[in-house]
Amino acid sequence: MSHPITTDDSREIVRVDAIVKDFRPGLGLRAKRVLHEVSFAVREGEIYGFVGPNGAGKTTTLKILMGLIRPTSGNATILDCDVTETGFREHIGFLPENPYFYSFLTAEEILRFYARLSGVGGRDRDRRVQALIELVGLGDARRERLSTYSKGMLQRVGIAQALIHDPKVVFLDEPMSGLDPIGRKDIRDIILRLKSEGKTVFMNTHILNDVEMICDRVAIIVKGRIRHEGPIREFMNEEAMRSDIVLAHLAPEVAEQLGAKFSARVQTVGEQVEVQVMDGQVRDLLKSALEAGAEVLSLSPNRISLERIFLEAVEQGEQADGSSAAERGAPAC
Amino acid sequence: MVWLAAAVLAVLATDALHTRLPPSGGASRQMGFVPDPDLAKVLSLGFGAVLADFYWLQAIQAAGGDVRITPELGDHLGRLIDLVTTLNPRVDHPYRFAAIWMTASEQNVRTANRLLARGIEYHPDEWRNYFYLGFNHFFYLLENDRAAEWLDRASRLPGAPRYLPRLAARLKSESAEIEVAAVFLQEMLNTSQDDVAKEGYRAALDEIEVEQSARLLDGARARFQDRNGRDLRTVEELVAGESAVLRTLPAAEPLALPSALRRGSTWVLDPVSDRIVSTYYGKRYRLHVGESDRQRAEGWAEERRIRERVQGMEGSRGETRHEPSNHDR
Amino acid sequence: MLNSGSRIWPIATNTVREAVRHRLLYTLLFFAVTMIGFSVLIASLSYVEGERIIQDVGLASIRLFSVGIAIFVGIGLIHGEVERRTIYTILAKPVTRSEFLLGKFLGLLLTVWLQLCLMAIAFVAVSVLVGAGLDLGYVAAMLLVGVELMVIVAVATLFSSFTTPMLAAFFTLGIYALGHLSRDLYSLGQASDVPAVKQAATLLYRALPDLESFNLSTQAVHGVAISGAEVGWASLYGVAYSIALLILASFIFHRRDLE
Repeated sequence: MSHPITTDDSREIVRVDAIVKDFRPGLGLRAKRVLHEVSFAVREGEIYGFVGPNGAGKTTTLKILMGLIRPTSGNATILDCDVTETGFREHIGFLPENPYFYSFLTAEEILRFYARLSGVGGRDRDRRVQALIELVGLGDARRERLSTYSKGMLQRVGIAQALIHDPKVVFLDEPMSGLDPIGRKDIRDIILRLKSEGKTVFMNTHILNDVEMICDRVAIIVKGRIRHEGPIREFMNEEAMRSDIVLAHLAPEVAEQLGAKFSARVQTVGEQVEVQVMDGQVRDLLKSALEAGAEVLSLSPNRISLERIFLEAVEQGEQADGSSAAERGAPAC
Repeated sequence: MVWLAAAVLAVLATDALHTRLPPSGGASRQMGFVPDPDLAKVLSLGFGAVLADFYWLQAIQAAGGDVRITPELGDHLGRLIDLVTTLNPRVDHPYRFAAIWMTASEQNVRTANRLLARGIEYHPDEWRNYFYLGFNHFFYLLENDRAAEWLDRASRLPGAPRYLPRLAARLKSESAEIEVAAVFLQEMLNTSQDDVAKEGYRAALDEIEVEQSARLLDGARARFQDRNGRDLRTVEELVAGESAVLRTLPAAEPLALPSALRRGSTWVLDPVSDRIVSTYYGKRYRLHVGESDRQRAEGWAEERRIRERVQGMEGSRGETRHEPSNHDR
Repeated sequence: MLNSGSRIWPIATNTVREAVRHRLLYTLLFFAVTMIGFSVLIASLSYVEGERIIQDVGLASIRLFSVGIAIFVGIGLIHGEVERRTIYTILAKPVTRSEFLLGKFLGLLLTVWLQLCLMAIAFVAVSVLVGAGLDLGYVAAMLLVGVELMVIVAVATLFSSFTTPMLAAFFTLGIYALGHLSRDLYSLGQASDVPAVKQAATLLYRALPDLESFNLSTQAVHGVAISGAEVGWASLYGVAYSIALLILASFIFHRRDLE
């Protein structure tokens, strides 16, 4: 996590303003609201994580941004253009979830096709196609039909077509899904590389690990509502810096003392004592514990902070859903 | 292997069952359902021509072979050709096909005439349709005036035979029926494309040929009476001895008759009718194709007179439906 | 700003490449060519006008099977792209929905025109073989079959742009049937004494594609003179009607959520 974090006064590349989306399941059936006044903004040069459980409205939001569906109300802009327009799409790339392409074409052919659609012309086109095939690691299969491709290879084709015209903003829907660990690392590297080239990346995901590793800012969406939005640090302060220590042979009163001294959370489980403490205090606490004759059974950094927030958000969502009257009121927690 | 055996078995079993089914019999095959022409035209969705071909082939099947053309079959053919010519009025031959085959009842002939009139509407320059219409009026309906009208019109069209005006004139004189019939039949023979129909015309022409010889003998008989003051005892007296009025007797059989069918027929005096007849036919030709046709035609005429009288009394509508629309110009 | 053609054309050519992989296309093409050949046998059942029957059957096969191809390949045209989500990545490029629609339409049209040419070759071959007459009338008839196909493809595109292949097939077949009936409906309506019925019939006649105006096959077979003006006006009518349909399809497709 050494990449620079964007400053708050960067230009807003994507703006979503109070988007509401109702779906009408069929004639005469009641409309179902899947997005409730969703608002957020993505700033230039950042990697923005749009996080939520399945069915939260991530893909719907992305489809609105891509102009595939229309919001019931509210509006969204990309590069200061309304998303229903077409011209600005020269500057954006899009990888849908589980992308599917004309399976009768080869990787080269499909990339050439997208290049032509994006207005990449002439010699430039072939150069871009070859460069991207190399970038996503499909060199060996470039002349094979996409119908023979695995899911992971299609994902790579998807990335390549999203970048074929060297867009300024890239939208990725679950870019890591269906990939093996190596594939995930490759995609992560590509995303970080885009960032280093000054591009803005918006990504939908439900894999929190990825978010923690590469995102600058995060929005958590649950049941069509944004529950949290902010820099990843906000999710990672304090608790992110904690570690879990499991000790043995420690008298309960000594444990209490340690807890008070280092403002640690202490829990006695049978013969063992579990302590959760700020990273900065780990060394001193361990020293004190060892001096008190304790044995260290395990020490592990606590990195589940985002997941905790996420789970809390989901829980809130569930409760809010249960009592629709108090929807906009303070979450019961 | 098992699959192959199973497949063969299945085919054999199906075939065996199929052969046990009663074959779709002649009558039902010939007299299949014929849809309403106007409805079929609407529902053909631009595929009228090919549907017309389909029903045309059905008409050929129905009339072909050794089937006897009954009035019922004639009605069926009429429905088929009506359908064919509604679906694709530009067809040519089916109009005359109807005229050739639909001769078993007055109703049949009237329907055929109506179809010919449609043919004339779509092929105003095709003289044969007028000619066939004239033939029907003369031959089957005994309406010589109308027949003459149609021949007149046919004669003014390109490609029409030169003798047509003469034929029309003779029709109006109401004489020389035999000669007129011969000319008609010869033309039907020349223009027909159907072998079975041609056979019928040929036979009728043969009979007329013998009839013409018989009429020659009638003349000779009269001269014999004048000269000898008595009637013939045998036909041979016409050429025998001093009282002979002829050098030789004409053939008593058609000239074109194949030798295998020749029976060495002679001329005799029929004791019942007291007329000279060929033993080949055993009777005199009264008109056209054969006696039965003449009787039938007279029968229709009589029937029509009765019907008209009845309708006249009832004051109901006249029987104009079957007339060609442009008939009475 | 790029011109639309550079985006429409790749979509059209890809559609052709996709359509020529359609198994149904080959099945129908096979049947059509078989029928054209088979027409010789059918015609042998008749002792007169055999050549006319051969050409009737041949032209009817061409019209029937090419419309079959147009409808059954066309109905899934847009729906398949949405269903398989191939459209997502395309519309994320600077491609408007109208351009996409037009590209798909042109692609399918090229495909059906291509197979029309193949069938026409088979028809000419059989005609030459049996010594049946061929003249400019047949060229005119084929040309208008091509125009009719354009209208049918536009109808299929329209329905495919907002409904499932099943319904699109149903509607397109319906329009095809009504299009051939429209003149009859009109005259039926005019025979009515009720003014409302008359007006409705007139409206229907003018709104439905007058597909019979593209049907010159009987005239061609019977050697009836076909005027260049007749062919020209019918073609113009077909082009105008198709454009109107595509504008309507575009209008609907632009407002549609691509779920």
